[in-house]
Amino acid sequence: MEKPAPLGYGLGLRPIYYEEILSSRPPIDWFEIISENYMLAGGRPLAMLERIRADYPVVMHGVSMSLASTDPLNFDYLRQLKTLAERVQPAWVSDHIAWTGVHGVTLHDLLPIPYTRESLAHVVERIQRVQDFLKRRLVVENASTYVSFVDSEMSEHEFVREMAERADCLLLLDVNNVFVSSFNHGFDPVAFIDGVPAERVVQFHMAGHTNNETHRVDTHDQPVCDEVWALYEHARRRCGDVSAMIERDDNYPPLAELLDELQNMRDIDARISKERALSAA
Amino acid sequence: MKLADFQSLFQQRVLAGSGEADKPLLKKLRPSPRGAAPETLLDVYQTGYRIRLADFVSQDHPGLRAILGDEAFDALVDDYIDHCPSRDPNARWFTTGLPDFMRENARWRDDVAAASMALFERAMVDAFDTADETPLTVQALAGFAPDDWARLAFDFDPSLTLLELAAGTIEAYGAAISEEAPAKVDKPAAGDHIEYAAVWRVDHESAYRQLEPDEYVALSEARAGHAFGDICQMTAFQQAGEIAPERLAQCLSSWFEDGMIIGVRVREDDDQSSNTPSSA
Repeated sequence: MEKPAPLGYGLGLRPIYYEEILSSRPPIDWFEIISENYMLAGGRPLAMLERIRADYPVVMHGVSMSLASTDPLNFDYLRQLKTLAERVQPAWVSDHIAWTGVHGVTLHDLLPIPYTRESLAHVVERIQRVQDFLKRRLVVENASTYVSFVDSEMSEHEFVREMAERADCLLLLDVNNVFVSSFNHGFDPVAFIDGVPAERVVQFHMAGHTNNETHRVDTHDQPVCDEVWALYEHARRRCGDVSAMIERDDNYPPLAELLDELQNMRDIDARISKERALSAA
Repeated sequence: MKLADFQSLFQQRVLAGSGEADKPLLKKLRPSPRGAAPETLLDVYQTGYRIRLADFVSQDHPGLRAILGDEAFDALVDDYIDHCPSRDPNARWFTTGLPDFMRENARWRDDVAAASMALFERAMVDAFDTADETPLTVQALAGFAPDDWARLAFDFDPSLTLLELAAGTIEAYGAAISEEAPAKVDKPAAGDHIEYAAVWRVDHESAYRQLEPDEYVALSEARAGHAFGDICQMTAFQQAGEIAPERLAQCLSSWFEDGMIIGVRVREDDDQSSNTPSSA
């Protein structure tokens, strides 16, 4: 499996941090942009992106491809995405195993599907069409979900594995999403990580969530919690050198706090490398 | 259940909330291992949808919230979300229909001040991400012979919007976004009075300023591609203003200074286009 080279430790690029990033050049290896926020004719977002792109690798992460929707693929959207990709030259383009609406409506959310043979065939076919259109391999992410369905014929990680192999796509493993969904649906998050094809994973997402006791919600407005750090370590041991990043989308802390989370990743990875070196010696 | 039928049911639950129509969907949900009620879990999607859209509207309409007050503003946003589900993958475009919704909706159409504020704030949002152009300075005029001045026509930044607003809109907006912004700004008692504004983008930020009636007419005509000399001769401008050529020169100077002008050209007699290549 040919994968893009690992980029190191990255951060979701958000407007609140533009100025600090440009003025202080913090130790961040790469940035992930939300594609839709830059699918514009012009203005400050594109100008800032251009300045940051001049010095950092960038990957494009979308939230509106609606790969699982039964509406037709939105080729106006895909054309805009392709145009942005030509401009940004990202290391890769990603989106989610989810749908965002049907009948022309968009709910601006990553909505769940039953993991059925029908859903699988549908998503695989759409990923293939998108890859053909974009002329690049797509990176597809597991989403957080709050409900699951009696119609499901397989587990989520079985769905992810078969989808990736049949569509020949790459994977973005959102470690926080694995944890949130495992809590909400009562599956083993370690088994999930062990079940996805590690050779196709090119990126990790790490983020915080909200604990409502009976369910957890993927809010990206908190620091990464201890359980997700533990799961990260497991994912790192299994998937090896994969680009990893922090997503923060609300309740923004000083940039230094996010840099501390990146440092925590580096420390975990250094410990794993040291252990491996020792056991190999 | 087919995937398409499932998605229709699920979306209906998100858009309309809980009700009798949910029953087939509820039958399809596995029980939560943590004892969360199915309604609670579906509400995560429903409330998330409404909160996200309400946030978009709030971010784009601080002035509207300030003059309506929180309660009326939230009612307006609720009405808008109910009547106009989002249809563009890019959430940025959701709020753009709000002024049209207000104009067409019986509950809001008579609130002239609110409709005016919504229109103004939409222009501010639209200016923010229109295509990039490079503004010219007044030095651009130096390359033209004095004999050509009457035939000079101008191209304007694509972000420029000219607005006819209810009187007091601009002052209320300024109060709403000021650093010591009060929670509530007095709604302008506009009556039939109007004011004029230009909204455009400069240095990556949306900008605005109030226009005198004669400048509004002149700028409208200049943007339509009419030449400097022709605008001076226009009856509308003569009626709206005072001494045409001097006043127009003053206006032109401020348009350059504001970064509104991106092209200057000599308009030929048969030139009907306002988009011919610029010179200077």
